[in-house]
Amino acid sequence: MVLFHSLPVFAQDDKSETRQNQGAPAKFLPDISLNVDFSGVYRNLDQNAFGSLYYPGYAETEYGDTINPLNGFNFNYAEFGMYSAVDPFFDLSVTFHLTVDTFEIEEAYARTLSLPANLQLKLGKFLSSFGRLNEVHAHAWDFSDQPLVYHVFFGMEDLNEIGLRLTWLIPAPFYLLAGAEALTGRNPVSFGSTGFSNPGGTMKVDNGSSPEIYLGYLKTSFDLNDLVILAGVSAANGTKRFDNGILSTDGYGVSGNSTILGTDLTLKWIVDASRFLAWQTEYLYRIVDGNMYYNSGTNDSYTAKQSGLYSQIIFQFTKGLRTGFRFDLLQKNEVLIGGASQNYVENSTRYSLMLEYAPSEFSRFRLQYNYDPSGYNGSSATDNHQIAINANFHIGSHGSHSF
Amino acid sequence: MKRILLILFLAGFSVSSLQPEPAKLKVVTSYSYIASITKEIAGIYAHVEPLAKGTWDPHFVVPRPSYIAKLRDADLFINNGAELETGWVPPLIKQANNDKLNGNGILELAMYIKLQGIPKKLSRAQGDVHPEGNPHFILDPNNVLLAAQAIQKRLSEIDPSHDQDYKKNLENFSKRWRDKLVAWSQAMAKLKGQPVVQYHGLFNYLLNSYGIKLEGTVERLPGIPPTAKHLEYLEKLIAEKGITIIIQDVYNPEDATRALVKKLHIKMIVLPHDVGAVDGASDIFSLFDEIVRRLTHD
Repeated sequence: MVLFHSLPVFAQDDKSETRQNQGAPAKFLPDISLNVDFSGVYRNLDQNAFGSLYYPGYAETEYGDTINPLNGFNFNYAEFGMYSAVDPFFDLSVTFHLTVDTFEIEEAYARTLSLPANLQLKLGKFLSSFGRLNEVHAHAWDFSDQPLVYHVFFGMEDLNEIGLRLTWLIPAPFYLLAGAEALTGRNPVSFGSTGFSNPGGTMKVDNGSSPEIYLGYLKTSFDLNDLVILAGVSAANGTKRFDNGILSTDGYGVSGNSTILGTDLTLKWIVDASRFLAWQTEYLYRIVDGNMYYNSGTNDSYTAKQSGLYSQIIFQFTKGLRTGFRFDLLQKNEVLIGGASQNYVENSTRYSLMLEYAPSEFSRFRLQYNYDPSGYNGSSATDNHQIAINANFHIGSHGSHSF
Repeated sequence: MKRILLILFLAGFSVSSLQPEPAKLKVVTSYSYIASITKEIAGIYAHVEPLAKGTWDPHFVVPRPSYIAKLRDADLFINNGAELETGWVPPLIKQANNDKLNGNGILELAMYIKLQGIPKKLSRAQGDVHPEGNPHFILDPNNVLLAAQAIQKRLSEIDPSHDQDYKKNLENFSKRWRDKLVAWSQAMAKLKGQPVVQYHGLFNYLLNSYGIKLEGTVERLPGIPPTAKHLEYLEKLIAEKGITIIIQDVYNPEDATRALVKKLHIKMIVLPHDVGAVDGASDIFSLFDEIVRRLTHD
């Protein structure tokens, strides 16, 4: 495998048009790439009205995303990536996520290259392979924002944890992958590792021990000629710890057992070298079973059964031009506190339409319209119409993406 | 019932143990042309399977998960190299969980070929250029022999028990190939010195090998479609140089080429770039038979 293709090669003189290609450059430089995303956003709501929206029943997460947060111009991110083999036994992938004010290690993980029996171990900080979309980086998404169900179950940074992953490619006549992950459990939306107590200290939820999320998945794929089918099931279990200002008199905290189940299906029909039609859908279900703790030190039982899905169609009608439609649904929203139903709104929807033009493999412009009536302001649903143009640029080593 | 099952089980067991399936080497190749050459060298001692179809754009292959399952079991993966597969093969190898696809379990043919068209200045402002040179080296039929030699060497390395068979197969293949080289040279001699335009830099090695002069490409830059201004330039160029042929491939859009040949009353010739790209090109021999036939047939 050529690992060092980011190195420039200069011919020595006019006559050296040909050479015996031995592929080995002089220095051990990793593959380096940089991906930058800018956007312009127009909304019917002003920034304050937009900022006060929330999803009923999902107090753990804010409305809106880290991508396209502001009306007007946005610098969304610069993603700096490095990859290289470490030695014959490991490779290392690192992605730095940079914004105007922050520098984050989005992913930094080593992976084994030579485990026997079709096994592979990954260790470090990485995006979990739960579901279809969680492990996909933002620049490789088909739409400029996350599906709603991912947003309310995992938060803006998806399920991104420190831990271990073991995959086993099962010897079947088709693609069949089993994976298991043990993760710290820092995800602040469905899990969380920071405990809390009330002001008098009469109740206390301890900090989490690590690892705390155990997760497994099974993925399979096969081809019917030019129709590629990919399906998966995933399950994650851990502990939820959510402190919603318990130190103030009207604050509270929630802690309990948290389970997320998911299933996904992708059908991609490859029409020819430049056209395809793809349908992708995922359904997620979350159960939280525990207690709600109040500032006074008392508590009530807390159970939540919540679900959601997204379903999208992408059509690439010629090289560099594609269009897509996505439907988001937050379906079940059954939250019982002390046995009393909270009657949160169910079946919230969002509709997204996008048109994308890529002048080359390395630049892309995406126009996306969202009609989103799922957000609430006070006790009433509020329509959010959003038009965004995202410009994405990639330099450095040639990117390649999984299916 | 139990006894019948037991007998059936034992019978199955004894039959399979009496006639052990000869352990065949599993070779996976990125493209069909590599599979065809490998079959010539490996003979009956390997099961050879290509990933991409010959009708596809070799730069943009969808990395189907089914390919991961094929690579999972491979003893050897042979690819073209020189970055032709850079957009689709690396994630497949990474996910194949196959400890054999390491070291000499991967053979990159470009390492054994003298590459042409190495960019003097490397910048993507020049389009999707390949830093190591033009990767479509196999379309010079002389390079097929070098590829076959590299494949034989690697097969012998990982399966020394059939070393002699692989060498014999290579010798036999080379002899038949050299005969063909003579025939193709004779047929192509009449095109020597003739100027042509092609859609993408696919056939440089072929054209250089037979002394055909390459004057330009229909696409503006590698991977970047033509603009009106570029087509205007081509019109002038074609008239000036007396060009009568535009070579088109099977996967790039034909409209620009069609418009040019219609307006200028010249000829479009569609050439296969890989085994399976057109009906007549069913193996590495007929691929070049078909190329030569299409170029020399009036």
